[in-house]
Amino acid sequence: MSNSADVRSILSLPSASATPAPSHKKPTLPSARKPDGISRELFSLIGPSSTTLVAQLAKPRLKQKPNLGAGSKIKWEWRAFKNGGRTDSLQLRHWVKASTDPDAEYPFAKYNVQRPTFTYTQEEYTLWLHDNDWTKEETDYLMAIVQEYDTRWYVIQDRYEYSGTVPRSMEDLKDRYCSVCRKLLRNRPWTGDESTKQQLLSSFAFDKEREVLRKRYVTSLENRTPEQIAEEEALYMEIKRLEQNERRFKRDRDDLLRTIAGIESGLPDVVEDEVQLTGLTLDSKRSKKKGGGAGDLDSPSTPLIAAPLPKRAALPPPTLPKNSAYDLQHCITRTDAAGAAGAGASTKAAHQPAYLRSFKMPFPKSSIAPKVTQVLVELGVSPTRLVMPTQGNVALLEELMDATAVLVETKKVVDKVEYDIQVLKNRLGMQSTAGANAEEGDGGGDAMEVDAGDDADGDADGEGEDGRAQSVVSTRSARSRKHGRRSLSISSVDTSATISTRAGTKRQRRN
Amino acid sequence: MVNYGGDEVSALVIDIGTSSVRAGYAGDDAPKAVIPTTFGFHRAPPDADSAMPDAADPTRSGTGKFTKMYMGQYGPSVWREGMEVTNPLTDGLVHDFEPVAALMRHAVVDVMRCNPTEHPILVTEPAWNTPANRERMAEIMFEEFQVPAFYIANTGVLNAFAAGKGSALVIDVGQTIASVTPIVDGFVLRKGLVYSSLPQLVHAHARHTLVTPTVQRRGGIDLYPHQLITNKMPVEVGAPPRYTLREDRVKGTTESWRMWYEAREVDEWSQSVAGVLEQGWNDQAAASRPPRQYEFPTGYNAWFTSERYSVGEQFFWHSPQLMASNAGLPKTIPALISESLRACDPELRQVLVGNVVLTGGGSLFAGFGDRLSSELARSFPHVKIHSPGNPVERRYGGWLGGSVLASLGTFHQLWISKEEWTEHGKAIVGQRCK
Repeated sequence: MSNSADVRSILSLPSASATPAPSHKKPTLPSARKPDGISRELFSLIGPSSTTLVAQLAKPRLKQKPNLGAGSKIKWEWRAFKNGGRTDSLQLRHWVKASTDPDAEYPFAKYNVQRPTFTYTQEEYTLWLHDNDWTKEETDYLMAIVQEYDTRWYVIQDRYEYSGTVPRSMEDLKDRYCSVCRKLLRNRPWTGDESTKQQLLSSFAFDKEREVLRKRYVTSLENRTPEQIAEEEALYMEIKRLEQNERRFKRDRDDLLRTIAGIESGLPDVVEDEVQLTGLTLDSKRSKKKGGGAGDLDSPSTPLIAAPLPKRAALPPPTLPKNSAYDLQHCITRTDAAGAAGAGASTKAAHQPAYLRSFKMPFPKSSIAPKVTQVLVELGVSPTRLVMPTQGNVALLEELMDATAVLVETKKVVDKVEYDIQVLKNRLGMQSTAGANAEEGDGGGDAMEVDAGDDADGDADGEGEDGRAQSVVSTRSARSRKHGRRSLSISSVDTSATISTRAGTKRQRRN
Repeated sequence: MVNYGGDEVSALVIDIGTSSVRAGYAGDDAPKAVIPTTFGFHRAPPDADSAMPDAADPTRSGTGKFTKMYMGQYGPSVWREGMEVTNPLTDGLVHDFEPVAALMRHAVVDVMRCNPTEHPILVTEPAWNTPANRERMAEIMFEEFQVPAFYIANTGVLNAFAAGKGSALVIDVGQTIASVTPIVDGFVLRKGLVYSSLPQLVHAHARHTLVTPTVQRRGGIDLYPHQLITNKMPVEVGAPPRYTLREDRVKGTTESWRMWYEAREVDEWSQSVAGVLEQGWNDQAAASRPPRQYEFPTGYNAWFTSERYSVGEQFFWHSPQLMASNAGLPKTIPALISESLRACDPELRQVLVGNVVLTGGGSLFAGFGDRLSSELARSFPHVKIHSPGNPVERRYGGWLGGSVLASLGTFHQLWISKEEWTEHGKAIVGQRCK
């Protein structure tokens, strides 16, 4: 080992420290203990400074071993035990922990459970259980064997050997046993509560006819020949195929309708699941099969058209009554699609596409449209555009439009009648200048008689000339407009009424 | 302990089949002792200076009609002069209980080194076992083995339990009997139980295929076991074998031993070469399969082509002329299944077909499971076959089910105790083991 002093001496350099000897003895190396996990050579090189390295090199600590023994050893004993399920004194031996109680009951004895048995006396038998098919001895034998084999009926039937009687089927045995138990239960005084008795009774319920029938079905199902099974399978496949075809037809038809008519087709854009449809089509298929396949081509279309209608109609009722209050509160208006469809029974009416109310403004009849428009303009109402086309406003406008149309119609008739009167008057004037005075009254009366309707109209017209027509056409205030409209509606109703009443109304109005 | 319902009381399970006796502890997944059911015996005492090294053999002195019995691994398969071979089972049923008791003792005492008086024992029986047989078995267990408790369970039910099913249609193909057993809730439906000696027919067919002279094999194939052959030379494929017999042994060989060993050779051949086509018999399909080579103990070797598939076909299909000429022909597997299902309630059929359990060593025949599933799929829409891929589970399914059953905590109340046996006698067996 060489230190700086040696090097210096070799190189003939003056010693760095005054006392080289103590420096030789001084080294602190031995004082610092070499830690574990690091070699002596390495430690002498790097010294005790590199603690981190030492920490890393320390022996890794392993996970603590689990203490399986839990301390003490367990002692086992080869011990004889008594089985509670046995009637004799046989003592078998087995290994048990010495700590277990030697007097404890055998843990498997509790699985030895016995069914409650039914026994009966001769008296009870003759009273309730008598059956012409069964002797008491055979019944006894049956009860015993059922007990012995724990109501495993397949085994009982297999082991049932009672000489001198007809061979018994499993249903016979079951029926007899259950009926005996039922009768005993029913007729004996019952100490427990009623529900357990009923439960017990129902556990002995057995319908022999039904069981026999079921067995027969099972047998017939098993006795199918491979051909029959194959045919059944083929038929099933066929049904599936037809069903699929029908679904495809419907989809194609709907697609076509959607392409041609677009939104007007009334079909939803989202293709619905045809689950509801399958039952219907299946039915139609069955009937078709029965009918010998008549009308194969057009029959699928009938149920398809009929099908969507009930489906849609069925939808609103549950939602409507429930939501009416809610709708009112939130200004939701529902269109009654079913009502719109009416009796038309066409898919087109069934569905009402969404629209803007402003596009569905009422229009007057085209023949009188200009005149109606003119009247409305005079009133200061734009017939084509509403500032606020709410449902109420649109309804009002529609009402107004109707009223205007009626007014215009009436005006037209009035004009014509007035013209006629004028013409007649002119003719009368010409006659009076030409003919005698006496004839005048007659002619007037005659004219009145002939043109009764005209006269009535004329009368009304005269009345309208001063009151109504004026008010409608010339006045612009809302009040007068309202008034005019009221009078108009009354007068239009009155056109067929008698003159006297009309005169009365006229007077009233005037006041 | 209660979580999986198990409570082991160190019960033993003994499953007696035609080919082997299986014994082991309940709760294990495989039997500890598997010994052949067939045993060798001498009627007369053998020569004292016998050249055979029987010292290591676990032989046993018989008490009754057999002077000496040779059981287990070194039992019948070892050549002994004048040794006869027999099997105490016919059609899966025990017809001779004396050797059966000896076999069980050999398995439990000599192989497992257990003291039967300390263990409850569960024994299996085929579904067609007679009440007399099971009572005799109980008698042997209680009187001879002095077991503390005994139970006898049905192999069909146990096979269903081994598959984890309470209701199943168990198709069990053993060495001599193929059976179809409908099980519902752990009970055999006796009316639906059918069985036939189909494996014997298949064996006979395989033997016939081998020993019948053909164009390639003039004189058929010699099925001498290797114990009787001194030496042999390698020969070309299909060439006549060149071997010399051990003349010293041939004359001391009994007919029964030779027949048994030839049957073993046939079985070995059919297990390694024969198979069954998955989709039914088809000449082209059979011809298109790759041929397989097999060498017999004599050194004769050959490629076996489509004939190896005609063997397995016997399990599933018999030609009409064969059936017409042979009235007592055992029924095929599909016939057994359909007969069994016909006897069951129509409602049960679907349940059973959905829970088919294939088991038994014979079902390990190559292609058997695939063929069975294709046969069933042809007649039933929803078939599910449970066939364990593990050969041990397949061969010892009955034992495995017994192992499951006897280790259940809820089962221990079913044991017939010695006390009950002495009190009630034989009747208790029929009452308890339904």
